[in-house]
Amino acid sequence: MFGGLHSPRPLPSETTLVLLAREFAPRVEALGPTPVLLDLQGLGRVWPTPEALGQALLGAMRDRGLIPHVALAGTRVTALVVACARAGLTIIPAGQEAAALAPLPLNLLDLDPDREELLRRWGVQTLGDLAALPAAGFAERFGPEGPHLRRLARGMDDSPLVPAPLPERFEMAMELDWPVEGLEPFSFLLARVLEPLCANLKARGRRAVGLDLELGLVDGTLHRRALHFAAPSCEPRTWRSLLLLDLEAHPPRDAILAIRVRAEPTPARSVQFSLLDPAQPCPERLAETLARLQSRAGAGRVGAASLLDTHRPGAFALGSFAPGPFMALRSASAAARMALRVFRPPLPARVAVRDGAPVFVATACARGVVVDRAGPWRASGDWWDVAWSREEWDVAVASGVYRLFRDRLSGAWFVDGELD
Amino acid sequence: MSSALKIALEEILRARRLRADGPPLRGMGRSLAPLATGQSSVDALLQGGIPRGQVSEVHGPSSSGRTGLVLSLVARSTGDGVLAAWVDPADRLDPASASAAGVELARLLWFRGEPRAPRGLANAVAAVGTLLGSGIFELVVLDLAGIPACEVRRLPDNTWLRLQRMIEGIPVALVLVADAHVAHGPEGASLALRPSGPSWSGASGPGRLLHGLRVEARVGRHTIRGASLELRAFS
Repeated sequence: MFGGLHSPRPLPSETTLVLLAREFAPRVEALGPTPVLLDLQGLGRVWPTPEALGQALLGAMRDRGLIPHVALAGTRVTALVVACARAGLTIIPAGQEAAALAPLPLNLLDLDPDREELLRRWGVQTLGDLAALPAAGFAERFGPEGPHLRRLARGMDDSPLVPAPLPERFEMAMELDWPVEGLEPFSFLLARVLEPLCANLKARGRRAVGLDLELGLVDGTLHRRALHFAAPSCEPRTWRSLLLLDLEAHPPRDAILAIRVRAEPTPARSVQFSLLDPAQPCPERLAETLARLQSRAGAGRVGAASLLDTHRPGAFALGSFAPGPFMALRSASAAARMALRVFRPPLPARVAVRDGAPVFVATACARGVVVDRAGPWRASGDWWDVAWSREEWDVAVASGVYRLFRDRLSGAWFVDGELD
Repeated sequence: MSSALKIALEEILRARRLRADGPPLRGMGRSLAPLATGQSSVDALLQGGIPRGQVSEVHGPSSSGRTGLVLSLVARSTGDGVLAAWVDPADRLDPASASAAGVELARLLWFRGEPRAPRGLANAVAAVGTLLGSGIFELVVLDLAGIPACEVRRLPDNTWLRLQRMIEGIPVALVLVADAHVAHGPEGASLALRPSGPSWSGASGPGRLLHGLRVEARVGRHTIRGASLELRAFS
């Protein structure tokens, strides 16, 4: 037996009717916020008669302030259409589906407007008229949809009930009898929360792309942390390490009395490995390693550098380290190239100039007569924002070769770096 | 599969297998091969390159080409698909120089230290331990150049021995870049570089360019094997 629930009044929320239906049966099909279909098989022990079950549904809808339309029938299409058409409780005995649907108007089938207009021009006003049309002739004139519509008008199902999936909520909480101080004892409790949570994720074919940790503290406040990583994982060990590393950097200010962890689920990834290319690093291990490094270096000081599209010297961005699949696009240069070992920020220098060229340099890293030099090379940019303008020299002194520059806006000299 | 597609695929496979300097295929023994620097004279001196499973060092004074040579090693390795890490306690790496040297920046993890932070060097050494223990990176560079020798000596005595023990038997190379000899494993390379002076294009005056740095390379402290190379200017 199937049950149809419908409420013409605007619902308090889109899930009101679905949640109500789930209180009665686990298999619920939602066709939008309303109507909703229930599979009522096997409920005879709780509600021995259809009338009792219908009255229970009716009462539950009234309790929520809805206008109840409840229909119980042997087929899903009958329950659905009658629930949409009639207020109150309607119970259709088995075998009476076609008779119950016959007086109902055609528009309850939710047809395409053009098709509905065509049927009206043929004089079809009710579902009974539609059911009475000759099968062969109707199929010839109306196309393949014809037999399907005719079956629906007779209260016969063409497809089974498709249950709506249960809302996924991955959350675990633990209340502690005694407050816990320090991260070491807390790590054991965290494992007890994370292990069932990750097992639940794995059982549903999900991974966590982020975790929200909420710690109830003795002073009554909440300590909240949110972790997000590029590599979704359901490894409790990895998540525990990441959470502990984060808590080392941002410790709670009091002892912990309650733990609540909420996972942000994402579908499990499928990776097609390459036969020819080097293996990619394990995402969980990479995330853990990066978190450990960041806890030592500080946020924003570990990652992969990328050059910016600007002429400003030394401009780069440090992004997250996420090496993709290896693609051998360019070959390394055959000849070794010297590198600049930059000073951040550039070192102020005292420079003696003769005939426009530096002849003596004194700075924190080098001091001496300029033996040889190349330059000057002028560069400038960003005049529309924070302007820069510099005059560069490569100079050799006894202790090495350095890149100097004179800031043309301030006239000051700096050592940009050592050429090595 | 169409015959044209099949022929094209076979061509690609043949090219990948026969290219001597191409990345090794999965399953091929890359674990034993040393990491080549890409400089034939230096690789010949090192008998193939920087050995894996060992702590090696490249040291020399300022402008002796230490950074340029190690970036060449990183460029060659990342070009072969290796993941590398550059631990930089003094924050001296220039990504533009690295890119000009051919380094695949996306495959190079950069750990930037805070030059004036207390325990900055100790943190960098701990980061090296984390990187070596992760099993993700095949080449780890610790840049100690420019750090005063007294600071390096303040590290615990067993630091380098501990790091050597960590990588023994695994296909990871740890390279120290330093001003002077620091440490190397029993079978690790110790490459000493000495500057022979810069080379310039043309006579002194406007329009002149720094052409490169001439460098003498020597292996070990007591051997007489040596090589010379020139590191070209990158811009």
